[in-house]
Amino acid sequence: MRQNRKYLDPVFLSKLGNMSLVARSAVEGFFAGLHPSPFHGFSVEYSDHREYHAGDELKFVDWKVFGRSDKLYIKQFQQETNTTAYILLDSSKSMSFAGNGPVSKMDYGSYLAAALSYLMLSQSDSTALILFAEAMKRYIPPRSKRTHLNIILTALQHNRPAGQTNLAGVLHTFAETTKRRGIVILISDLLDDEQDIFKGLAHLKFLKHDVIVFHTMDHQELNLDYEGLIQFEDLETKARIQVFPQSIRDGYRKRITEFLDNIEKTTGNSGIDYCLLDTSAPLDRALVAYLAKRKRSM
Amino acid sequence: MSFTEWIFLLGGFAVAGPVIAHLLAKPRYKRLPFTMLRFLRTGQVESRSRRKLRDLLILLLRCTIIVLIAMLFARPLLQIRLKPSDSKPVYCLGLDNSMSMAYSDSGGSYFDKLKDSAVDYIHSARDDALFNICALASGDWMQGLSKEQALAEIKALKIVPGSVNVADFISGLKRIDREKHTPDQVSVLLLSDFTPNTIRQIISIAEPAVVEKIDYEPVVSSSPVNNAAITVARVVGFRNGQLTINVDVVNYGQVEQHRQLTADADGYKSEPIDISFSANQRKNYQVKLDIGTPDRRPSCVPVELSLSDSDNLKADDTFYLAVYIPGHQDLNVLLAGDNENQMYLLKTATDTLSRTSLYDTLRSKQVAMEQLAASDADWADVVVCSGITDKLGDLAMDIESFVKAGGRLVCFVTETPIPDAAKQLWRRDILAALPGKFVQESAYIQPTPYDSTGSGVDHIAARSLSNYRIDRVLLKSYFECEQHPDARMLWQLQNGSGLVYFKSLGRGSSILINTSVDDSLGSLTKSNASVAFCRYLLGECHQVEEHCFTCEERVVLPVFDKDQFFAGQERIWVETCDGKKRRAAVVDSSLLIPDPAGIGWVKTLSKPTIYAGINLPPGETNMTKPVEAELAGIMNRIFTVGDESNVSKAGVIRDKKNRPLWKIFAWALILLMLAEPALANRLKR
Repeated sequence: MRQNRKYLDPVFLSKLGNMSLVARSAVEGFFAGLHPSPFHGFSVEYSDHREYHAGDELKFVDWKVFGRSDKLYIKQFQQETNTTAYILLDSSKSMSFAGNGPVSKMDYGSYLAAALSYLMLSQSDSTALILFAEAMKRYIPPRSKRTHLNIILTALQHNRPAGQTNLAGVLHTFAETTKRRGIVILISDLLDDEQDIFKGLAHLKFLKHDVIVFHTMDHQELNLDYEGLIQFEDLETKARIQVFPQSIRDGYRKRITEFLDNIEKTTGNSGIDYCLLDTSAPLDRALVAYLAKRKRSM
Repeated sequence: MSFTEWIFLLGGFAVAGPVIAHLLAKPRYKRLPFTMLRFLRTGQVESRSRRKLRDLLILLLRCTIIVLIAMLFARPLLQIRLKPSDSKPVYCLGLDNSMSMAYSDSGGSYFDKLKDSAVDYIHSARDDALFNICALASGDWMQGLSKEQALAEIKALKIVPGSVNVADFISGLKRIDREKHTPDQVSVLLLSDFTPNTIRQIISIAEPAVVEKIDYEPVVSSSPVNNAAITVARVVGFRNGQLTINVDVVNYGQVEQHRQLTADADGYKSEPIDISFSANQRKNYQVKLDIGTPDRRPSCVPVELSLSDSDNLKADDTFYLAVYIPGHQDLNVLLAGDNENQMYLLKTATDTLSRTSLYDTLRSKQVAMEQLAASDADWADVVVCSGITDKLGDLAMDIESFVKAGGRLVCFVTETPIPDAAKQLWRRDILAALPGKFVQESAYIQPTPYDSTGSGVDHIAARSLSNYRIDRVLLKSYFECEQHPDARMLWQLQNGSGLVYFKSLGRGSSILINTSVDDSLGSLTKSNASVAFCRYLLGECHQVEEHCFTCEERVVLPVFDKDQFFAGQERIWVETCDGKKRRAAVVDSSLLIPDPAGIGWVKTLSKPTIYAGINLPPGETNMTKPVEAELAGIMNRIFTVGDESNVSKAGVIRDKKNRPLWKIFAWALILLMLAEPALANRLKR
């Protein structure tokens, strides 16, 4: 189990380099470490038989039919109704913050997006990826083909954080341009005006989307564990502040907690799944949240 | 506040350094990218003001340290304007409580007269006066006393054995001057019998004390002094159980003395000696005291010498003299050589020793080595062999028994020792070293043996050997010896090889001399060192000694045989002169006694008892009256009175006094330097 959890560790994933490998390792690591769970086998149902051809897997051979007819037939399963998942990954400059660790929020979000894409496409769900900052930087429309994964992973691999966040604007634009409802997965640090964000999310809910918000935060952003006199420079606005972090730490933590509580409370009231992710934590929490959401939406 | 070395105050300008550094310095900080700046902004104002406060406080602290250092070098003084209450008159009373003050005549004792005079003096003083009383013999100062307290202290004052110490009193006076009062407030009263001993001390004082007024009063008898004393006693001989003691008796008074001198030791009394001597006469008498034939064990005899028909001072009529008498010392030395004449030189040396008073009897006998028999060990205490021969190997078992029973084997080596015989003796742990390779080369001896105190050889002889230029004695050959693990090398050749090895075995001992009889002793005999060397080899011999101290001396008793006296005792308890039990310490071969607490006997409480006689310092009870005019001259010299003092004439502000502040500054500086890093670190939080 511990060995499997290694594949969910963001630090480990950051060493893999290749996004495809990252996605596969994360998802397989997740399933290998999963206990018997309610998610098992929900996506297949018997449909028909066809004649066996060389190369088919023997496990799908219907041996009862073989006993009666002395011919090899393969059992065929019908895919359940597919859903469409829209992954919105915040690619603003603030996402490049990495605190003291090797994994930035952008990296973490990318791994999460890759793992989710892999998971979705392996279940034949249509998956779309939207990279945004002040506006949508790239839109990869939803497809359910396995080859679509390569497009998504390549986009993630070449994505570089830049620009300021305009999350609310992006959400409204996305809501207006997307006709088919599905699961909207927002991966962001939510560094925008809270009320605007809530309005954007409410807009999505109004259009009957299932929304999951993965709020990625760095450990230092949550705790401010710095020492000595430090001049902090804002990654997006370039504003500077000189402080002794130790002297303001308590107040900072208090304000951060209030901010997070407010987001959680508001999203909860709107029926939006909210998941705060510390970039030092493994990815499994996010994957579980997604699977639970998907099961509910089927 | 003023400064003695004000020039150092200029060092205070060094504060400019940290101030400029503070003004020019920019805060050193790390630059870090961050995202949640809106949450930091609220705390920013608080953090900035805190940093400014921290910087200012640290700057202030560092400037203070620099200023304090400059002020410390400038030696600050605090000028205190004396309050009216500080101008109280101060009286310092030096009261002689030495043993001579115990002298009494028809009018009472000197000490009672002294107390009466002191009480009258105190009564005559102002009610608000302060009193400092110094007991001149015991050296105790009682300071800052009110009138009532001073009277009570004088009532409680007692005589102590010992002499006055005037120098302590004068230095105490000077200290009072400096610390609390100006000299013009201090009046001094000195009450003493001013014996010659005291006057000698006063004369030797170099620097006078400045006082407002000096009063002194010789406490003396109006009638002629009647006092004789035993000042010194020495043991000059001990033979056949009889002690001969020379005693110095002095008539310290003006009355002719007719007394009887007796000695008393544990019930043995000497015949009384009638003595008579005129005023100020000193005589020497010899007292013979029969204390019986002592047994083989050493003992310490307490002898009290006393003068009968007491005079007006009893304390000096008895002299306490402890005499250490070593055990009965008979020594039989068997000299075994290749032939009867080989040990001739050693025989001559032992014969010479036998004529001294070191041993009760010292007999020596020469035999040829081949004739050596086991029965010889019954007679001999020491067997000296000229070499290690077959015969010694044959007698190895008998020699082992002889040594273990308390005998001493001394072996020289010849050029051809018999290896088998040497190994037999070696296996039985008799030999202190095993001769190995023969080295035929000349070697000189070290000038002196090692310090051999308590090592089984006579340490007095060892020390005296250094007087004989032994380092010029050339040996023709020697052996490379293997030293026995339990043996000690007592003497070396100058090339580092061993000359004398010593080893204890049972109650006895064995000595190996790494050279032949002819080589070492033969060469030594050409000088007078042969007798000392022979005594060195025969072992410790003790002489009659006195244990006699004055009450002002540190009592240190030699312990010749520590194992015998204090075997198994971890704590040595002694009874001192005041009858109290105190703990003593054994250091090396000495017993250190704490304060004897009086005159009389100090004795160990464990058996055998060791005594030490404690007596008055010589001359303490010399009651010769002082000459008035001479005394006045001396007192004027050691006390400079008020207006005559150079200090007052120099125009010192008399209502002020200077108090040095360097200690306060130094402590403040140390505290600030300790606080600086802690405070700086604390403020960063």
